[in-house]
Amino acid sequence: MDTPAACAQNPHMGWLPPADDGASFEALLRHRPELAALYKQFYGTFWDDALLPRALLELCRLRIAQVHGCDAELAIDDEQAALSPERRQALERWQDADCYAEDERAALVLAEKMPWQHHEITDGEFAHMRSLLGERGAVALMVALALFDANCRLKLVFGLNPAPATVPQPASAAGPLY
Amino acid sequence: MSTIPRASSAIPGQPPSFGTALAHQPGLQSRFGALYSTFWMQGVVDHRTKEITRMRNARVTDCGF
Repeated sequence: MDTPAACAQNPHMGWLPPADDGASFEALLRHRPELAALYKQFYGTFWDDALLPRALLELCRLRIAQVHGCDAELAIDDEQAALSPERRQALERWQDADCYAEDERAALVLAEKMPWQHHEITDGEFAHMRSLLGERGAVALMVALALFDANCRLKLVFGLNPAPATVPQPASAAGPLY
Repeated sequence: MSTIPRASSAIPGQPPSFGTALAHQPGLQSRFGALYSTFWMQGVVDHRTKEITRMRNARVTDCGF
């Protein structure tokens, strides 16, 4: 595929130029400002309203990014999740590691399958996760996994380059979207 | 593939569905509704094209719902 001239002039972007001076996911979404604001409110809910344990959320976000091979998503580090280097390092082979709690492992089973094997999530796997997180937690987790998956797909299709950053939270209604 | 409803309805008297399960998290539900309805009601892409891509995405992901 030919590279559009506007993208060739901007080394940070892929198929679309940014809508403002930034070169971020948010800058790209601002081509549709009304949708960008609503998307931040929706996606930011996980952190703004603390719907799930912060580390569990971060592990799932990163694992889905690993499954997709999405370097732009992997470049973001949620500071308040406070993942130890060991836990972050072991994530690619989390099944063999002993540094994850039972609820984290139950969530990672589903995160692992969400991108390409969503039909292979079993009733038992879902029920086990729900027994640990509760009904409200289970609903929140599944929406989070779907959004992590969608974000990776968007970043990959848009050709966003990794911009390493340690952030207060990956998204919020009032703050940036990474 | 799911063989049973995995998430219950949060709305008494209504069966499990995407909407009634999402109601377990009212904040998520309302913000999703705002985003998704805006996506459908506004924008530069015509409604027919959105519907075609929605249906095609459901086919590709084998989502009978």
